[in-house]
Amino acid sequence: MKIDSGDTAWVLASAALVMLMTPALGFFYGGLVRRKNVLSTIMHSFFILCLISVQWVLWGYSLAFGPDKFHLIGGLEWIGLNNVGFTPNADYAPTIPHQAYMVFQMMFAVITPALISGAFAERQRFKAFVLFSLLWATFVYDPIAHWVWGAGGWLHNLGALDFAGGTVVHISSGVSALVAALVLGRRLGFGKEKVEPHDATMTILGACLLWFGWFGFNAGSAVAAGTLATSAFVVTNTATAMAALTWMTVSWWHKRQPSVLGAAAGAVAGLVAITPASGFVNVMGAIVIGFGAGVFCYLAIQLRERIHVDDALDVWAVHGIGGTWGALATGLFATIAINSTAANGFFYGNPKQVLIQLAAIGAAWGWAGVGTYVILKVVNLFVPLRVQEDEELLGLDISQHGEPAYAL
Amino acid sequence: MDVTTVIAVISCAIVFYGWLVLPHSATVKPVVVSDLVSEERKPVSVSA
Repeated sequence: MKIDSGDTAWVLASAALVMLMTPALGFFYGGLVRRKNVLSTIMHSFFILCLISVQWVLWGYSLAFGPDKFHLIGGLEWIGLNNVGFTPNADYAPTIPHQAYMVFQMMFAVITPALISGAFAERQRFKAFVLFSLLWATFVYDPIAHWVWGAGGWLHNLGALDFAGGTVVHISSGVSALVAALVLGRRLGFGKEKVEPHDATMTILGACLLWFGWFGFNAGSAVAAGTLATSAFVVTNTATAMAALTWMTVSWWHKRQPSVLGAAAGAVAGLVAITPASGFVNVMGAIVIGFGAGVFCYLAIQLRERIHVDDALDVWAVHGIGGTWGALATGLFATIAINSTAANGFFYGNPKQVLIQLAAIGAAWGWAGVGTYVILKVVNLFVPLRVQEDEELLGLDISQHGEPAYAL
Repeated sequence: MDVTTVIAVISCAIVFYGWLVLPHSATVKPVVVSDLVSEERKPVSVSA
């Protein structure tokens, strides 16, 4: 196999773009919390970038993409990047060095547990967060990544379509966020006192950087610099813009004013929803997916508020529901006119694809939900998940890290 | 025009029509930051 310099350059650049998304997520989340918790919230993302970068080269990549075992998990043959060198791997990316593909996938593994941190913001003990993240990446993310993307994975063999991680990244993190919010319980004063974002501008900046990095996430998933990457780039931008417009309009109708933070949240919902579909749908499909993301994710937040679940930064509504809608919509709007190696969806004569997508959605919801619950309970045996009440009142920046965010 | 295009056009029409008809209720009272930010509590000592 011959290495293509253009493909390699694009995938390495995409890996760098996706890397930027994790600190961008930190700023997106950081602006939404109270100022006493901003550093700890940003630290969640920054720390995970470091933690999973090491976990991935030691055993994560091998579990997710290593030689298949029972269609459920990768083997340990590639542990410590053993046998993962510069020769391309025909199963994953035949025109780039294997390590380029590995590092691109590393950035996906990094951001996924970071997404969950929004659910338990402002109340989780840092040591518990460290243990949870490591266990979650190993026992939840790595198996699901193997099922969907690994050569021989059972959902891969079934024909499930997930171009850039709607199931692997967003459903898994969104559902886990819901479970984490339920297990940890509500923040002190939840529902009694108003909790406002301390810096909306930080959140908008974070959303813009996420949007920028997402071009690497989706267009990079073509693992080649060509027509498919171009299509993924265009539909990513289209769906994101449509979702932001839709969310803003829905919030305008509901709250009588067009929300700026709502437009940013809508953009992220659109990015999430187009992720699984970005290599399979055309521009019209992207518009519908963006529209659905704006409506469904907004409604999910209203439901979450009504049932008084303190998913602090609405990870479940945006990533869980957005990812679910995107995965289902892939089964509706996929067309081989965009990707001849994939399959048509419902509206292009293949209703069976919807059932396959539902199987993938159900598997991801089930494994992520149960796995997260078990991991949280195990961690709680060794380290309390929550900080004490006085620590929570003081804020996690001081109580967990001994540093204030602002000297103002 | 295929079904996907029809649904996309309807989606856009709903959003654009919304901007034409939605009322806008301007906030005329200045927002007091201390009413919004809730960490104005007295700090308490932190246990080790």
